[in-house]
Parts: sequence; structure tokens; C-alpha cells
Amino acid sequence: MSRATQTALVRDDRTLYEAAAGLAVGLSGVAFVTGLAALLNVVAIDDPVAGLELSVLFGVVLLGLGATTVGFGVASRLDYVETGAQPSAGIVAAGAFTAIWFAVGTAVAGAAGLGTVSQLGVGVLLGAAAFATTAFPREDIGSTMPAGAVAGLCGLALVTGIIGPGWEQALAGYNATLFGDTVVPAIVLFASLVTGWSAAKAYGGFGARGRNVGAYVLIYLVVGSILSVLVGLVAFVTVRGLPGLFNGFSVGGAGLVRWPFLTNGAGLLADVAGVFPALLGTVWLVIGAVLFAVPTGVGAAVFLSEYAEQGRFTGAVEVATNGLWSTPSIVFGLFGAAFLIPRFGNQKSLIAGMLTLGFMLLPLVLITSREAILAVPDEYRDASAALGVSKWQTIRSVVLPAAIPGVTTGVILGVGRIAGETAPILLTMGGGVLPAKSAAPNVLGGFQLTASPPFVSNPALLEATSALPYQLYALITAGLSGNIQNPQEYAWGLALTLLLVVLVFYAIGITTRYYFRRKLHQ
Amino acid sequence: MSQTDPAETTANRTDNQSVSTTVGETVEETRPEWTTYEAASGTKLAVKDLDVHYGDDHAIKDVSMDIPEESVTALIGPSGCGKSTFLRCLNRMNDRIRAANVDGTVELDEQNIYQDGIDLVELRKRVGMVFQSPNPFPKSIRENVSYGPRKHGDIETGLLARLTGRAEPDREEALVEQSLERAALWEEVNDRLDDNALGLSGGQQQRLCIARCLAVDPEVILMDEPASALDPIATSKIEDLIEDLAQDYTVVVVTHSMQQAARVSDQTAVFLTGGELVEYDDTEKIFENPESQRVEDYISGKFG
Repeated sequence: MSRATQTALVRDDRTLYEAAAGLAVGLSGVAFVTGLAALLNVVAIDDPVAGLELSVLFGVVLLGLGATTVGFGVASRLDYVETGAQPSAGIVAAGAFTAIWFAVGTAVAGAAGLGTVSQLGVGVLLGAAAFATTAFPREDIGSTMPAGAVAGLCGLALVTGIIGPGWEQALAGYNATLFGDTVVPAIVLFASLVTGWSAAKAYGGFGARGRNVGAYVLIYLVVGSILSVLVGLVAFVTVRGLPGLFNGFSVGGAGLVRWPFLTNGAGLLADVAGVFPALLGTVWLVIGAVLFAVPTGVGAAVFLSEYAEQGRFTGAVEVATNGLWSTPSIVFGLFGAAFLIPRFGNQKSLIAGMLTLGFMLLPLVLITSREAILAVPDEYRDASAALGVSKWQTIRSVVLPAAIPGVTTGVILGVGRIAGETAPILLTMGGGVLPAKSAAPNVLGGFQLTASPPFVSNPALLEATSALPYQLYALITAGLSGNIQNPQEYAWGLALTLLLVVLVFYAIGITTRYYFRRKLHQ
Repeated sequence: MSQTDPAETTANRTDNQSVSTTVGETVEETRPEWTTYEAASGTKLAVKDLDVHYGDDHAIKDVSMDIPEESVTALIGPSGCGKSTFLRCLNRMNDRIRAANVDGTVELDEQNIYQDGIDLVELRKRVGMVFQSPNPFPKSIRENVSYGPRKHGDIETGLLARLTGRAEPDREEALVEQSLERAALWEEVNDRLDDNALGLSGGQQQRLCIARCLAVDPEVILMDEPASALDPIATSKIEDLIEDLAQDYTVVVVTHSMQQAARVSDQTAVFLTGGELVEYDDTEKIFENPESQRVEDYISGKFG
């Protein structure tokens, strides 16, 4: 408990040190973000920035960060500033730096042209040195020295141009080559992550608080990079798809919107080739699958959680459902092709696709509904039973309303998956590569009364229909040719439309869930 | 089976104390006359030779007691003594627990509620229940109160009822008001009947649960530690309400708090570990001059 006397409750005299460390954290963050941008080709590493090539500038920054990081540790160790450093940086940090330095050692030795055994030898030596440096000295040295050295080494390689824009290396044994424009950003990302963590620990004054700050910085940087990958992906599709999506788009007089890409087919007569049939096909597909899967899934969930005796039977059903949810979609597609198609006019049809996707959606709806129903407090059931209300009425008026938000979540997740599913509809629904507008399914207008059972028929449901993911797949396998202008632009527009359709279904689901949650809780 | 009054000698007292938690010959047994109680008013519920098993666990041991109408009967005892289990036998809520096995009879107005062919819906309409933690439904205050009558078809609401002209919004309104009034909650919520009941405070929620129970017009109200999750002010409101309700209803209340039992009840039954009813008499008699040594120890805080 001697530490309690060493660490003042109110800290002072550390403002300059803290400011420097904060600056280092910020600089690491900037380097990390720029590195990410370079990795995603938003900036090029041979662009001149402030008179230097970006990769050289990266090197300078990393050298500086490495030096300051080491400085933070030394300043703390020599007691120029008062920190709460613990006796050791801990086994996790030691393990991490051992692995990092082992990798650095083997990579450098490999680049120097040493044999495999020598490479491993160098790696083991450096790893052991890193372990000793991290684990044995006090925490302030242990968590800055190896980190600063990593950053310094990376910076040196970039400044001297050993690794730079023109650098490339063939990987022995793999049919691949590493290029400078991916390796440099990767090095920067990695080194700035390490110095960011180390500087953050210094900022927090090491000890428990320093570890806390260090973990925060690591988590935020990693989360930020994941988010940027997601955003980058969506942005990429959007940028590529917008010209196609808005081809011929105009807002005429009297608020008349003309949006040929969404309202036209791809026939010869259409002025602008559009995706209307496939768009409508996807919408009907999702509606059909939801109409099939939600009532059956929720019904089964009610039975399993309210009526069936919890035991081996429900356990087996649970395992089977989970297995069904992880079944590859192509297997569902095969089932649909072999089982459903012969029963619906022996040809690929909209209804076969709907049912196949319905079967795919069913397990998720069942799992999430069951969990939502089990999460409804037993007090509600007791209260209702104590009022003399029967079990079914209790389920209907208390349990199910309370479970709706959870059920909706399941449906949202499931719809997101099935709307983009290609393999099953490839086998069950088919449709043309470039369907004309007349090929769009007319489900509502297609119902007909017939004189014989089943008395209602709907030809639209029994026809092969195109859907967005399938059309995209078919376009690509057909080599993006066909009787339309600029098929490349058309395909990207199609991809963006599919993305938007899925997002719209999400939005509908989330709004529904929000509405019911509000209704339950305020 | 000691024939001497244990209260007479201190030696006997210490002896009893030291072995009172184990089952053995030296433990003082309950004498039948300590649990027979002649009430001034008529008997509403008559429990005879009730035994409850949860699997191998013998939760209630051969309990017989008569609960008089239009009065408050308190059940007290240490945790795990079976008083809640006993309460749940009175409206057959134990049926909902698969492992529970009930033997013996409970007569409501001289009809055995454990005979074949009993209508559980009708039984629970006549014997209502209020639970330990307030459990209003996540619905509006109005819907909470009218839930029972609507589900029983006594009040028709909804689209179909309105279309067919059978909706009786006035009657529903009157019932909601009357029930909330009776539960002493009307003044506090009459301007926000359509708000979600989960927005009420704990004490208000518990009174809403009582109103919900009253709306189905029961004869007996069972309360399972109705104030244990509430603060002292809300507790005192609930206690006032219990005393008030006893004018029209037969109230059976389980409580941990002996002060509460002493304040609100007319007669008190003491259960002790092992699920046996040890003594049952006028509340005053139980708290001032109990027959059983174990009850006296329990009440004075020496045991349990």
C-alpha cells in the first residue's frame, strides 16, 4: 500500500508532460487516420505534402513519435514527473511486444536475405529482448521503450526510402507481390496504433489510470477503422452507382418526378434501361417470405416457449433451428429446386422463390421470437392468471405485445439477409438477364377466380421473375454486355438500388420496433 | 410432546432455543388447540389438512385453518417457511408450478376448490391476488384496470363492439373510476388514465395492481408481501388501504414485517421453518401472549 502515499490525490506539476503526451496521442490519431485514407486510396503515398513525399513525411512523424514515446518513459523513470507507474507493464503487454518484435525480426532478416533458420533466430532474439524490456523494468520503461523502438524502426524505413512508393517484394512461395502503396499505410497504421497506446498510457500517468486511457485509445482507433471500412464500402458503391441510378432523372413541372432507372424495364424500346421488373421482384419476394415466415415462426415460438414442456424436445428443436439458420443458402436453393418447383408448374417461379426464402427466414424469426417471448417477465403471466384470464388470452394480449420489439428485430435481421440472397433464387426463381417492363410481376392484379379448386390462381406468382441480386449476378456472368448502353453504369446503378432496397427494409423495421417500444414504455 | 408450558421455566426455554432449527424429539410440537381459532364472523376459506410438496421438498405440513370473512388475516414467519406457498394454494396459483403437488382441501364458501371440474377462471375471479413486486402490464392505466373484465367479456371494447353497438364506454369509465377510487389512486391519476402504467411510482403501481384486482369484483384478496418493495410512505398508504378493504373483502396478507401484521391484521397465523402452522389466533393474543414458546421467540426476535 506504499503506492497510496506516492500518488497524490490531487495531481499537479504535470501539465506540460500531459500536454506533450496528449499531443502525441493526437498526432498518432492523425497518422492513423491518414494511413487509413492512404490504404483506401483516398490519398496517394507519393503525393507531395509540405515539400515531402507523403511516405517520407509519415516516416518523419513516426520517428518523432517514437522518440517522444521513449522520452515519456525515461522522464517518468528518472522521476522528472510523478506518475503512478507499476512495477511491471504486465504479461499481456510483454506477450504482445514479444510477438511484434519476433515478426519485425523475421521480416527484417528476410528482407536482408538470410535463410529461414537465421530469420527465426533473429526473430527469437529480438522477441526475447522485447520481452525482457517490457516485463522486467518498471511499467513506464516497459510500455514505452519497445513501442518507441517499433515506431522508430518503421519511421527509419520510410524516411530512408527503404520502403517507399516504388517498393515491391514478391512473396516467395505465394503467387503474389507486396507493393509499397499497401505496405506503407499498413506500417503507418500499425506503428501509430502502438505509439498511440503508449503515449496514452503516459498521458494517464501509467498505473491503473494510464492503462485505462491506453485501452480507450486502442478501442477507439480500432472501432474507427472498422466504421471507416463500412462507410467506405457504402460510399464506394454509392459513388459508382449514382450516375446509373439517376440516368435520365428529372423533376418535371407540377411535381412530376421522372425516374426512368427505377420505372423502366430494360427492353429495346425503353429510352433509359431500368431495373423496374427486378426491383418489383425483390420487393414481392421479401413480402412473400415475410408473410410466410413470420406467422409460422412466431407461432412455433409461442408453442415452444409457452406450451411445450422445456426439456429434451425443445432442446432438440433449438439445436435444429440453429443448424437450419447456419445452413448454406445454396442448400435451401437446391431444396427449393428439387421440392418446390415440381409442385408449382415445373418451372422456376416467384412463389417458389418466396417459399424458399421463407424457409431461410423461418429459423431466425423462430430463434429471436422465442428469446423475446422468454424475456417477457413471468410477473405479467402471473398477474394475468391471477385475474382469471386464460392462457391463450394472456399470450395474445400481454405476452405477444411485450415481445413485438424483439420479434421485429429478428425480422429486420432476416430480411437484410434474404433480400440480398442470390443462390436460392438463382435455382428457384430465375428470370431474364435484362427483363423488359412487361416482365414485371403483377401480383396484385394477377389474382383470378377459377371454377375448380383451389378456386384462386395467380399466374404472376407462377412465372419466372427476376430479382435485383440475381440480375446483377446474371449481368456479370454474361460479361456486362447486352442490348443496353453503358452496361457498367447500369450494373453499378443496380447494385446501389439493391443496397437502398435493403436499407429501406431496415428503416421500416427499425421504425416499427421504435413505435412498439414507445408504446410499451411510455 | 411436552405437557408443561415451556414459558414457565427458563431451563426449558434455553433447551428449546438450542434445538429449535433441527427436527428432533426435543423440538416442541404444535398443539392443535393453538391453531384452532373461532372467529366472530363466518368462515370464508376453510383449509383442511393441506400438504404441499415441491418434488421431494415438503413445503407445507398438514396445515388446517379457517379464515373468517371480511377481516384481515396475516401470515407471518421467517423466509422459506411456506407462507407464500400457502397463500398461493388459496387461488390455486401453485398449479402453474409443475413440480408442486397439493394434497388436502381448501373450501371457499364450503366448496372444495381442489375437486375435479373446478373452474379456475371463476375461482380466480372470486379470489384475487396482489404480488410482492408491483407488476402492472405495459399498457395504459385504464387498460390495466379494465383488463380483467374485458378479458372475461364483462365489458366489450374494441372495433367490433363499437361496430355492433355493444361497446359500453360509460360502463368501462365508471368501473375504472370506481376501482381506482377504491384503491385510493383515483385522485393521483385521473388526469392521465391513458399514460403507460410503468410511468407510475412503485407505490402507485402497487395500488394500481390492487385496483386491477378489485375491478373483477373478488370476494377474497390475497396479498403476497404487498409492501416489501415500497418505501415507508407508500407502505403506510397500502396498509391503510388494506384495513379499509377489510370492510368489504376477506383479505389474506403475507408479510415479513411483524409491525405490519400487528398494525393491519385482525388475526395472525405464524408459520415456522419446515412449513408448519404453529399458532393462529387474534393478532393481539399472538403478539402479546402467544401459547407457543417458538412463536414468542420468533416475535421477540430470538429466532428465525
